[in-house]
Amino acid sequence: MLRTSIRSVRALGSRPTAAVAGRQWQASAARRAVVSGQRFYADDKKPLVDEAKLPAAETLTAPTTPPPPPPQTTPAATITPEQAPLTPPAPGPAVVPPPPPPVAPIVPKKKGFFRRLRNFLLKLVLLGVLGFGGGVWYSRINDNFHDFFTQYVPYGEEAVLYLEELDFRKRFPNVANRVTGRRADTASEQVSIPAQSGASWRVADGDHAGRQSSGVAQKVVAAKDAVKDTVKDIVKPEPAAVTKATTETAALPRVEAKDAALEKKVKGVEEKKEIAVIPAAATSSKPKEFRAPDVNEPSVWPPASPIDPLSVPHADDAIVQQLVHMLNDIITVINYDGAADKYSQTIWKAKDEVSKVGERILSIKSAAEEEAAKQVKARIDSFDKHANDLVSRLEAIMLAQEQQWRREFEAEVERLKHNYDDKIKLIQEREQKLSEQKLQNKLLEQAVELQRQFSRDIKKHVEEEREGRLGRIESLSRAVSELEKLTTGLNEVVDTNLRTQQLHVAVEAVRASLEDAHHPRPFIKELVALKEIAADDPVVDAAIASIHPSAYQRGISTSAELIDRFRRVAAEVRKASLLPEDAGVASHASSYLLSKVMFKKQGLAAGDDVESILTRTQTFLEEGDLDNAAREMNTLGGWAKTLSRDWLSEVRKVLEVQQALDVITTEARLQSLKVE
Amino acid sequence: MADTAPATTTSPTSRAVSRPVSEALLNEKWDRCFSNLIIKSSLGLGFGVVFSVLLFKRRAWPAFVGVGFGAGRAYEECNSSLKQAAKEIRKQA
Repeated sequence: MLRTSIRSVRALGSRPTAAVAGRQWQASAARRAVVSGQRFYADDKKPLVDEAKLPAAETLTAPTTPPPPPPQTTPAATITPEQAPLTPPAPGPAVVPPPPPPVAPIVPKKKGFFRRLRNFLLKLVLLGVLGFGGGVWYSRINDNFHDFFTQYVPYGEEAVLYLEELDFRKRFPNVANRVTGRRADTASEQVSIPAQSGASWRVADGDHAGRQSSGVAQKVVAAKDAVKDTVKDIVKPEPAAVTKATTETAALPRVEAKDAALEKKVKGVEEKKEIAVIPAAATSSKPKEFRAPDVNEPSVWPPASPIDPLSVPHADDAIVQQLVHMLNDIITVINYDGAADKYSQTIWKAKDEVSKVGERILSIKSAAEEEAAKQVKARIDSFDKHANDLVSRLEAIMLAQEQQWRREFEAEVERLKHNYDDKIKLIQEREQKLSEQKLQNKLLEQAVELQRQFSRDIKKHVEEEREGRLGRIESLSRAVSELEKLTTGLNEVVDTNLRTQQLHVAVEAVRASLEDAHHPRPFIKELVALKEIAADDPVVDAAIASIHPSAYQRGISTSAELIDRFRRVAAEVRKASLLPEDAGVASHASSYLLSKVMFKKQGLAAGDDVESILTRTQTFLEEGDLDNAAREMNTLGGWAKTLSRDWLSEVRKVLEVQQALDVITTEARLQSLKVE
Repeated sequence: MADTAPATTTSPTSRAVSRPVSEALLNEKWDRCFSNLIIKSSLGLGFGVVFSVLLFKRRAWPAFVGVGFGAGRAYEECNSSLKQAAKEIRKQA
C-alpha cells in the first residue's frame, strides 16, 4: 500500500510537469499508462512473492494448508492472460516479464505437489537417517565428534551407547553377562553349556558316540559310517533293534538334518541299544552254562532242582533251630551256586539227621518232664503233711502264750491303776494346799491395802483441815494488805487532790497573769510552775509543747491590742484591696485612690471581696470571737494576706495559748474527778 | 477597749523600728518609690539645666526632658519592685 501510494503520488506529481511541457504529452500519457500498469503489477506482485515463499512454508508446517494457495493463484493466472495483450505496446516488458515465469510453473505444480512433497519428505527422512547413522558411526571413530553428537543430537547418546554395548557384548559375552547381570548372579546363575561339550551319561560307549556325534557336525558321511559300525558291533545279539537303528541312522543323514536333530536321533538309537543290551546281560549267565553241557555231552542229568529248605516240626528248641538255620543257609548257598546235584545226597542225609536229632531231643524232653512231675507230686505231699503238723503245733503254742499274756496284762493293769490312783491323790492334796495358801495371801494383801487406804484417808483429812486454816490465814493477810493499800491509796488520793488543786491554782495563775496584764509580758515562770505541778502529765506536757516559744517568752497581746492593730491593718488592706494580679505602680496608685471612695459595710456582710471580709472580721472581733476572726482573715489572698500576716500570727499565738490553757484546765478537772 | 488603744500605740512603733511589720510593707515600698522619684527627677533636672546652660542657650526644655527621664526611670524601678513583690507573694501562696 505504501508503495502504491508513493507511486500514485509520484504519478500525480509528474502530471503537472508533463502538462507544462506540452510536447511531452504523448510520452506523459504513455508514462501514465505505464505508471498505471506498473501500479497494477506492483499490487499483483505481492501474491506472487507470497507464492514464491509458500511452498517452503507449507513443507515445513503441514500438508493440510495447501487449499489456500489455489484461489490466490487463479486470479493471478486469470489476470495475466487479460493483461498480457494490453502490456505489449507499453514499454513495460522489462517490468512485466517477471510475473509469467513463476506463474507458468505453478500450474503444473498443482498436480505433482503431493508427489513432490512425498519425495521431499522421503528424501528428508532418508537424509536424516543417513546422517544419524553416519553420525553414530563417526562418533565411534572420532572422540570429539562423539562428544558433540551425544551432546547435541537427540537420541544420539542412546544410539551410540546401544551400539557400543552391542559391540562389547559381541566381543566379551561372558564379561558382558557378568557386568550386566550382577543381580541375576545371586538369583539364578544360569550356565549354558553347549550341547556337544561336557560329560554325558554315557560312560563307555558314549565316548565313541560323543566323539562321533561331535564329528558329525563336520563330516556327515564319516559319522554315518561310524555310527553304522558301532551299532553293528554292539547290537549283534539283538538283530531287531539293530536293524531298526541302522535303518534310522541310514535314513537320517540323507535328509539334510542339522546338528541337534541328528544328535537327538543318534542318542535315541543309543538308548535303544542300551535297553536291548541290559536284558541280554541279565539273561546270558543261565542259558550259557546250561547249554554248554547240553552241546558238549548229552548227559543224563537234568538240571537239579534246587534243594528245598529244611523245615522241622516242633522246632521249639534253640539248638534245633540253630541247626536248621545253619543247614538252610548251606542249602541256599548250594542252591545259589547251582551245585544242588552235587550235594543233594549229603544234604538229604544231613536233613534226616537233623530231623532225627530233633525227634530225639523231643523224646528226651518228654521223659524228663514226666519224671520231674512225679518228683514234684511226692514233694508236695510231704510238704503238706509237714505244714499241717506245724500248724497244729503252732496253734497250741499260741493258745498257751495268749493265756499267759492275758494274765500278765491284767496284773499289769491292776498295778498301773493303783499307781495312778496314788498319784492323783497326792496331786489333789497338794493343789488344795496351794489354793489355801493363795487365799491366805490374798487376805493378807487386802488387809494391807485397807490399812494403807485408812492411813491415806486420815492424811487427807488432816491436810484438808490444815489447808482450810492456812487459807483463812492467807485471806486474812490479803485483807490486811488490801487495807494497807487502801490506806496508801487514800494517801495518794490526798496527794493527787493536792496536786490537782495546785494544778488548778497554777492554771488560774497563768490565766490571771494573761488577763490581768495591760500589755504583753512573759509568763514563763507560771508555765514552769504548772509543768512542775503537773509532774509529767502527758496531756499537760503536750499542751505546753503546743504553745509557740515566742508566746511565753514575750507574752501575748491582749484583745484590745489586737483590735487596735486590726484597725491599722484593715486600713492598709483596704488600700490594697482593689489590686489586680501582678500589679504595677499605676494599679497600686489607682487602688489607693479608689479605696478612699469606697462605701463601708456593716455587720456580717455577705461576699467574698476584701471589704466584706474585713467588716466581718471586725464584727467578730468586737464580739470577742477571736477564732472566727482569724478564720475570716485567713481567707484573704495576695497583697491583703501579706499585709495581714503579722496580725494573723499574733492572733494565732493568743489562740494557741488559750487552747493550751483550756486543755490543762480540763485535765485538772478530770484529775480531780478521777480522785473523787 | 477604747481606753486601752492609746496605751498600745506606742509599743508597735517601737517594734516597727526593729522589724518591718507586715502591714507596713506596702507603705515602705511607696516611700522608697517616692524618694527614688525625687532623687532621680532632681538628678535629671540638674543634668537638664546643665545641658541647657552649656549647649542649648538656656532653653527650658532640656531641663524638663531631664526631669522626665529621671521620673520615668524612678517609675519604672518602682513598678518592677512592686511586681517582684507580687510575684514573691504569689510564690508564697
